[in-house]
Amino acid sequence: MAELLLDVQGLETRFKTPEGIVHAVNGVSFTLSEGETLGVVGESGCGKSVTMLSCLRLIASPPGEIVAGKALFLGQDLLKMAPEEIRKVRGAKISMVFQDPMTSLNPVMSIGQQMAEPLLLHMGMNKEQARKRSIELLELVGIPNAADRLKDYPHQYSGGMRQRVMIAMGLSCIPQILIADEPTTALDVTIQAQIVELVKRLREELGMAIIWITHDLGVVANIAHRVAVMYGGYIIEEAPVKELYANPTHPYTLGLLGSLPKINASERTRLYSIEGMPPVLYQKPQACPFAPRCTFVQERCWKENPALVNITPTHRVACWADTTSGSERL
Amino acid sequence: MGTYIVRRLLLVPLLIFGVTIIIFGMLQFLGPIERSALYVRDFPKNDKQIQGLIKKYGLDRPIYEQYWRWLTGVKDPISGEREGGVLFGDFGYSRTASQPVINIIKNRFPNTLDLALWAVFPMLSVGIWLGVQAAVHQNGWIDQLARIFSIVGTSFPTFVFGLLVLIVFYANLQWFPPGKMSDWVSVLLYSGDFKQYTHLLSIDALLNGRIDVFLDAMRHMFLPILTLSYINWATFVRVTRSSMLETLRMDYVTTARAKGLKESVVINKHARPNAMISITTLAGMSVVGLLGGVVITETVFNYPGIGKAAADAAQQLDVVTILGFAVFNGLILILANLVVDIMYGIIDPRVRLA
Ligand SMILES: Nc1ncnc2c1ncn2[C@@H]1O[C@H](COP(=O)(O)OP(=O)(O)OP(=O)(O)O)[C@@H](O)[C@H]1O
Ligand SMILES: [Mg+2]
Repeated sequence: MAELLLDVQGLETRFKTPEGIVHAVNGVSFTLSEGETLGVVGESGCGKSVTMLSCLRLIASPPGEIVAGKALFLGQDLLKMAPEEIRKVRGAKISMVFQDPMTSLNPVMSIGQQMAEPLLLHMGMNKEQARKRSIELLELVGIPNAADRLKDYPHQYSGGMRQRVMIAMGLSCIPQILIADEPTTALDVTIQAQIVELVKRLREELGMAIIWITHDLGVVANIAHRVAVMYGGYIIEEAPVKELYANPTHPYTLGLLGSLPKINASERTRLYSIEGMPPVLYQKPQACPFAPRCTFVQERCWKENPALVNITPTHRVACWADTTSGSERL
Repeated sequence: MGTYIVRRLLLVPLLIFGVTIIIFGMLQFLGPIERSALYVRDFPKNDKQIQGLIKKYGLDRPIYEQYWRWLTGVKDPISGEREGGVLFGDFGYSRTASQPVINIIKNRFPNTLDLALWAVFPMLSVGIWLGVQAAVHQNGWIDQLARIFSIVGTSFPTFVFGLLVLIVFYANLQWFPPGKMSDWVSVLLYSGDFKQYTHLLSIDALLNGRIDVFLDAMRHMFLPILTLSYINWATFVRVTRSSMLETLRMDYVTTARAKGLKESVVINKHARPNAMISITTLAGMSVVGLLGGVVITETVFNYPGIGKAAADAAQQLDVVTILGFAVFNGLILILANLVVDIMYGIIDPRVRLA
């Protein structure tokens, strides 16, 4: 069996805001093995980004605070590491690519300067070596005239090219885990497809594990081995990708997949077709957070929050209802 | 960068036109007799002389012609000499000071420049440093301190703070004197042993190798510098803090942290240069404020700068002098704007390469 890279247990993150405490992540557990790609899906605000940022302790504090949980990377808890230790992990062993390529690069530093930083920091390169390596990396992600374009600034790159730069930067130290936080959301459809293909190719070449956060179930089906569905700061269903698409069990997952057009799968699919709004949680929910929107809702759902339990050895779900029969699960 | 600077330079004549047209517009509120003071020293005594002057300087001509003459001056038909012309630095004759306005500027401006020069350093360095620290340690003690500092500074009028400082350090403790220099220094200046290279006393003192003169100049400037810095710090700290807080929330700052960079590198290399973009404007405006003469501070400390000269002229309703200063200030503003824009270009590649 492949080695366990990341083992997150019971992660809880809150934000203190003027309106009250936002319970953004409420006890999330998941694992990631070597070479595996985990897709994370869920509506906007369900805590996908905060979960991943928390693992690397990148949430702004204040207002954010990680109040519980562990994030074991190769057995070591990232949440307890000394600052200089976790800095050796960030960018070197676990790197991140963010949602919006327009704002993720520093506008006053050249691409070359920004690309060189992790190489100088983690790979012990000198400036000339870093420059050479940056050119190779830009070529790897398909930027033409890479050598000339190093001195350019982010505003001289298109959105798709900036995201390629972000990916190149994320891969520069050959990390064991690449966390891609909606890396294609801000891009148009053809560029999206190119980026997905690029990451798939690089995954083959470099063999890293990937966490791919997205709204797009089509992309997840294409790239992920396993999928975790999040709602209201919880993982509410998790299964291998084929299993999830064949036997979606949580009402929320059913809703999501119901909104996926079957005929033209390359078309962009969004998750907004379930009635109602996702909650902003000012209290840690005592009941199932999905109950107000759930078509299978039962009395118990209003009283107790279901835990994530295995229904097969690889398929976990957090729901009181048996969505295949409509009765309560035993 | 080159083309950017050239493009900005091409704007300068346009700006000069704008500034001068506004001030010329103000001049039109004066009658032709008063406006003749732009060209002559003595006010005409009788009607005939007045009419002669109005004819001679074309004060009855169409307005565009008058504007042109005001800008470029009038050739005296007999001597062939140019009279007037603000573009040549002739801002008219100050009746209250009994000298051409340009001479007042020449005498007083170096003193203001001297003061501004020394006030700018603490203002920018401490102001920006404190603002950055306050943002980085949001809600920490340094942030609270900066906030109190900033509220007090903003709500403290200059004259109150200046007078307070004057009472404590001059009247009670007698540490720092008002004025520009001690008597022995002014004697030295007239003796000719002291070369005035720049007319900035502190700089000339250093160039002459006279530490004693330098210290005397600094002793005299200390209280005005303190007052000016303090009042400006308030705004600087506030603006730097909020600009820095905003920058620290940016995605690229998270990107920088996600690379594993040290927090000090994230702040100084990634966040601060971006925050500086909005601070540059404020810095430019503050420097313009200082160079235009800080009327209240100079008056409180009896410091013979251009601000005090303007105050004196205003008290005696010397309109020509005031408008002369206005033109001068306008030109400084244009210059400062140019410098600020070039700074933008240096800081922000989007501006430079646009
Ligand atoms: N800095 C912050 N201050 C206050 N609340 C925050 C902050 N960052 C995130 N949150 C809250 O945490 C919750 C989860 O946000 P998160 O960014 O993880 O959502 P997401 O699933 O990534 O959504 P999206 O798909 O829009 O990126 C949201 O309710 C959000 O309002
Ligand atoms: Mg997100």
